[in-house]
This record gives sequence, C-alpha cells and structure tokens, in this order.
Amino acid sequence: MDIIVEQRTPTTVVRITGSVDGLTADTLMATLQQQIDAGNTRLIADLSGVSYTSSAGLRALLATVKQARSAGGDFRLASVMPPVHKVLEMSGFTTILKLYPDVELAIASFPA
Amino acid sequence: MSALPSQRKRVALVIGAGSVKCAAALGLWKVLKREGIALDLVVGCSGGSIYAACMALGYDAEEVEAMTLGMWNRDVTKRRDYASMLGAFLPKLFSFRGHFGMVHGEAVLAALKKGYGDRTFAETVMPLFVVATELATGQQATLDSGRIVDAVRASIAIPYIWEPWEVNGKLMLDGCLSDPLPVDVAIKEGADVIPSYAFHVNSIYTNNLFRANYSFHNLAHHAEILPIVPEFGEPVNLFDTHKFAHVIACGARAAEEQLPYLKQLLAVPESSAPSPEAARVQ
Repeated sequence: MDIIVEQRTPTTVVRITGSVDGLTADTLMATLQQQIDAGNTRLIADLSGVSYTSSAGLRALLATVKQARSAGGDFRLASVMPPVHKVLEMSGFTTILKLYPDVELAIASFPA
Repeated sequence: MSALPSQRKRVALVIGAGSVKCAAALGLWKVLKREGIALDLVVGCSGGSIYAACMALGYDAEEVEAMTLGMWNRDVTKRRDYASMLGAFLPKLFSFRGHFGMVHGEAVLAALKKGYGDRTFAETVMPLFVVATELATGQQATLDSGRIVDAVRASIAIPYIWEPWEVNGKLMLDGCLSDPLPVDVAIKEGADVIPSYAFHVNSIYTNNLFRANYSFHNLAHHAEILPIVPEFGEPVNLFDTHKFAHVIACGARAAEEQLPYLKQLLAVPESSAPSPEAARVQ
C-alpha cells in the first residue's frame, strides 16, 4: 500500500493505493492519526487506487472518522471503487461516512 | 469439539443464507483444496448449512454438487400441508399449534436424509456449526451436536413455508431470521481469518438484519473477516439448481480474487506486527 499526503488547505488529502486490510490498516491509521494530531482534521481519503478492504480496513476508517469528528473536523471519502463501495454498503458505513465522486467535490464539501 | 491449534491463524468458512447461491462456497472449497489451505471450522446458515454440513463431512466439491442436486429440487415443495394450513385459518376446529407451514415437511426431510443419513456432528472431519432461530424467543441458536439432518432441517425452516423443527426440545426456524451471516459464531470459536460468503436475499428484513449484524461483527473483534460477494450476472432463485455450475464458477472467481490476500494473511505469524514492507508512506 502507498500513502501520499497532500495539503490542500484547509483540507488534507490522503491518496491511498493498494488494499486496506489487516496487513496495512495499522500504517494507514497511524498516518491519519498523525494528521489529526497535527491539527489537520479536515481529512479526505482518495480511494481511487483502493480495490479491496477487509474488516481491519473498516475498523481503521471508523476509528479515523471518530477521531476527526471529535476534533471538530471530518473524514470524507472520495472516488470509492465499486468493490470497496459494496463492502462499505454491506457494513452500513455508507450511512455514517460522507462519500464523494471525486477529490475536488470532497474538498468543496467542506465549508470555506 | 476439539480445541483449535493455537500456533497458527485459524481459518473459518462462513456460508450465509442464500438458497442455491450458497453453492458459490464450493468455488472457494475447490480453490482452497488446490492451494492446500485447510479450514479449521465451517459455519452455515439456512441454505449455507446444507453446504457447510457436506464440507464438514469431508466430501469434495464435485461430490457435494451431486449430493445437493439430489437433495434440493422442486420435489421438496410439491406436497402442500393442508392440515397445517387449516389449523392456522380455523384454529379452534383444527387445533392450531402456534405455528404452521404451507409445504409438507416430509419430502424435505427425506431429501436431507438422503444426503446426511443419521450422521451426527461427532462424525464430521472438521467442526461444524449450524445456525437456526428459536421460535419462542427469536434468539439465534448455534447447533453443534446431535444429528446433522435435524440441525440443517431447522436452519432451513423458512417461516410459513415449512413448519419449525424441534432440536434439543426447542422449536427452531430458519437461521436467517436471527443471524443471516453468522461470522459471530466463527469469532466465538476462536477463528482469526474468516472468509464469508454473503448474499442478498429477497427479504428486506433479512438484508437489513444482515447489514446491522455484519457492521457490529466487523468492529467488535480483531478477527479478519474477508467478505466474498460473488456477482452472478443473472437472477438465481430458490430452486435454480440447473445453475449450479454457473454459481460455483462465480464463487470460485470471487475466491480467486481473495486468494493472494488470504495466502499473505496465513503466512504472517499471529503475534507479529505488520511487515514494514506492507505499507509505505510518503
């Protein structure tokens, strides 16, 4: 899994490539946590390069959204691929996470 | 059931409710056999219990396909249970017993007996767990002892179609009413890696229950749940056994997609942290 963090003030875009699963979730969560600790609580995950997520991945996403919202921000998903969207839908995550067709729309969704 | 080995990751296959679609799990069964990956236990609910039981008894995918073709066909619903229906509609006259089924249960029981005979859970080659629903309380019931035929008959007791079935002194209904994808049973039995075949069924209630349970089970434990959701590309209905080959092929294709990750997971020692090579941050 590759993670690229890009500051698009006032948001932070985290571009993820690969699988979000039991082998990679800890690293992803640590990266997202670092951003929240640094005050970058308006987080966007660009999932256009993610084709799979397992239960460990879901736990990482949920932990991040909880932390971001507790800190006054939010964690939003962009460009979710169909296999990942199916898992998010199956697990009810689409009811609590905000999803956008692309990163630009996700950035625009945050109030200026 | 014997204790599971503790030095390696324990793998449980969970086959959720989905009638003929559940045969997709035979696709994974074939892939795992080819790769030499052993299961530690198998859990089945409703239609999934039919296949889970066959696997636990040690049959290979081809044998299970042949067995279930003999067990599951329209013959099992041909005979109506008029006495039961009259009891429901004219309870005083025909002494209603608190439950009923429109289809006579004799044929389905005979069909299941053709497959399982009087074999018990103690005769399986790997631990088997069958999920049903207690009629009196609506609670999930995990069946793991006694005759397999009784457990499967209870697990597939679709409300209003078949009468509930008595197991251990309690009347049981279809497992999909309480736990359509019973990954919780695998977690409770100590599984670390849980490939789970999930199917959407023609019941809003069951699909919503599935979503609620699945969400909770994903978050409640360290176990890695690998959802396998085959795409069939066409409707697969309750008795579409002529679509078995297609269903199994779709199940195998979905399993192949999971295989690289499954193999990676099983190669990683349980106590070790994720490999530094597994992720790269820039």
